[in-house]
Amino acid sequence: MNLIRAEVERLAARRFVQLMVVLLVFAFGVTAATTLAGSHQPSAVELAEAQRQAAADRRGMELQHERCLARDRGEPRPTGEYTYLPPDCSDIDPGRRDQSPVAADYLSGVFTFTNQARPLLYFLIAYLVLFGFLVGASYIGADLNSGGVVNLLLWRPRRLTVLGAKLGTLLGAVLVLSVLASLAYLVTFWVIAQVAGYPGPTNAAFWAELGAIWGRGLTLVLLTAAAGFSIATVGRHTSAALGALAAYVVVWELGGRIVLQIVEVARPDQLMLSSYVSVWLAGEVGFWDNNACAGPVTGYCDGSYTLTWQPAMAVLLLLTAGLTAAAFTLFRRRDLI
Amino acid sequence: MTSGVIEIEGLRKTFHSLRRGRRVAVDGFDLLVEAGQVHGFLGPNGSGKTTTLRALLGLVRADDGRMRVLGASAPEQLPQVAGRVGAIVESPQFYGNFTAYRTLRLLALAGGVPVGRVDEVLAQVGLADRSHERVKGYSLGMKQRLAVASALLKRPELLILDEPANGLDPAGIREMRDLVRGLAADGVTVLVSSHILAEIQLICDHVTIISRGRRVAAGPVTEVLAGFDRHECLVRADDLTRAEELLTAAGMAVTGHVDHLVVGEVADPATVSRTLGEQGVWVRELTPMRPDLESVFLELTGTPASPAVPRQVDGSTPHHDPAVGRQIDLDDFRGVTS
Repeated sequence: MNLIRAEVERLAARRFVQLMVVLLVFAFGVTAATTLAGSHQPSAVELAEAQRQAAADRRGMELQHERCLARDRGEPRPTGEYTYLPPDCSDIDPGRRDQSPVAADYLSGVFTFTNQARPLLYFLIAYLVLFGFLVGASYIGADLNSGGVVNLLLWRPRRLTVLGAKLGTLLGAVLVLSVLASLAYLVTFWVIAQVAGYPGPTNAAFWAELGAIWGRGLTLVLLTAAAGFSIATVGRHTSAALGALAAYVVVWELGGRIVLQIVEVARPDQLMLSSYVSVWLAGEVGFWDNNACAGPVTGYCDGSYTLTWQPAMAVLLLLTAGLTAAAFTLFRRRDLI
Repeated sequence: MTSGVIEIEGLRKTFHSLRRGRRVAVDGFDLLVEAGQVHGFLGPNGSGKTTTLRALLGLVRADDGRMRVLGASAPEQLPQVAGRVGAIVESPQFYGNFTAYRTLRLLALAGGVPVGRVDEVLAQVGLADRSHERVKGYSLGMKQRLAVASALLKRPELLILDEPANGLDPAGIREMRDLVRGLAADGVTVLVSSHILAEIQLICDHVTIISRGRRVAAGPVTEVLAGFDRHECLVRADDLTRAEELLTAAGMAVTGHVDHLVVGEVADPATVSRTLGEQGVWVRELTPMRPDLESVFLELTGTPASPAVPRQVDGSTPHHDPAVGRQIDLDDFRGVTS
């Protein structure tokens, strides 16, 4: 317990951590301030007009779908009606759309919480992922580099306990900060929507979806923090983690992708870590395989495919677990010179 | 081997590197430090001192050998005795943005030592007034003091100090000497490695010398020095040429120099003055030449101070010189005790 307490104090006292927290607060403040400044509470007239436009749009979509179904039934099209109708009427079925037009879509200059909550949350998660990776790498990297780990091992000569305490402290601290930051973030924008914007139609499905993104986002933050920590431990330096990340992005995500396209590998996105990160955050992402319909194809060819969060979770967990296991194994056996 | 506070027997460690290949750092090294000793640990750069200390403290994995610290097998049982061992290993390294106080406070927290002890040790090493400054602004000597403070924090029974005087000014060296003496007087066993041989001779009662990963001498400082006493005298006389002839004729081993003679194997210096005085040659200076730790160290480790010969770390010279570069076997030395 004393070790954890000391590590919490050590982590909180690190200037890089303090700088990242200040940057987080700054970005948060700037976003909130500009949102507040650029938004106003809609008047009853504005709201009524927006609701009318949304209702009209919904009605138009329903009419188009009905016309499509009528065409399929062989009924003649009304005179003077030339709207494009897709071969498959389910493509324009309003009931199958992710989101129907709502009043918020037609409110100009009004911050609408239900429309903006998801992108705002994604932005915060992206920052926290960066925060977790950098802080995780620098926390152990600086300690290994400055002799802090050696000093600590002279006091507590249990390598796995010391490294485990450091990793546990890091993950705990990052989780607490992420939960507090994201709650403060969402509550702030909810309040802004209440006092200077429009909350939008919230229901259980909205909150459940937002909660799922939040939960998956926090998990990703913890995984990247553990990965940064582990790579820096293996490489004995903060820059090892940054170098490994940069090398992966340049060599595999950019170079490898080009090579895979040249040799016409099927579904190259399935081989990219960035795909699984985006799938994990979004829950489900559709990809297109350029090679699926290349060559002689008879009939309809659909090159699209979908990745869901379950395989994404497996990939991210296995990768992080592998890196962490490597870090602990190497640290246990390594000569500290 | 008798029981001691530190017992090392047959320690071996080889480093393997892709770039530098295989390097034997410690090659069957033995060390015995008994309770209450202030034990000097000497060796040239690269001789294996720091590797030995790091292996003893569990920072480096030994390939072979047996080590015990305060009766506990190292490194397996080290956690059981770590609270009784204070150590600094090589150059002190600290996180530069932390103050000295915070650095020690975190160590005290991690080690379960009362935080109030931090101020005591900072005062003990003379850093009390600057304890709230960032360590990155400290001189090497101040960092050294901080390292010693960290080792003292847990009131150790055994203190292992690797180059504690490194970077200290003369006053700091004297303070460090007094500190070590004070700790020894309080019953703390001290193992101190240093290149400042005069310091070791002043503060240590026992010494172990390592060269090329092997022990080449060990025992009480007085015994080690006595083993190298050739009973030589420095002689200056008014007629040096005549003096050399007379002493040689009297059967003494005489080596002539520009302004003095060195006479070997002189059991009683009075023999020299009597031999010369009887023939009318008057002695102006007659000084018994006692070996000091530095000369013994240089001879044992084959590292003579020679500006004409570029020396590699740990005494290896570009050409083999049987007088200075020989590998010395442990049994060759009269001063060795085991």
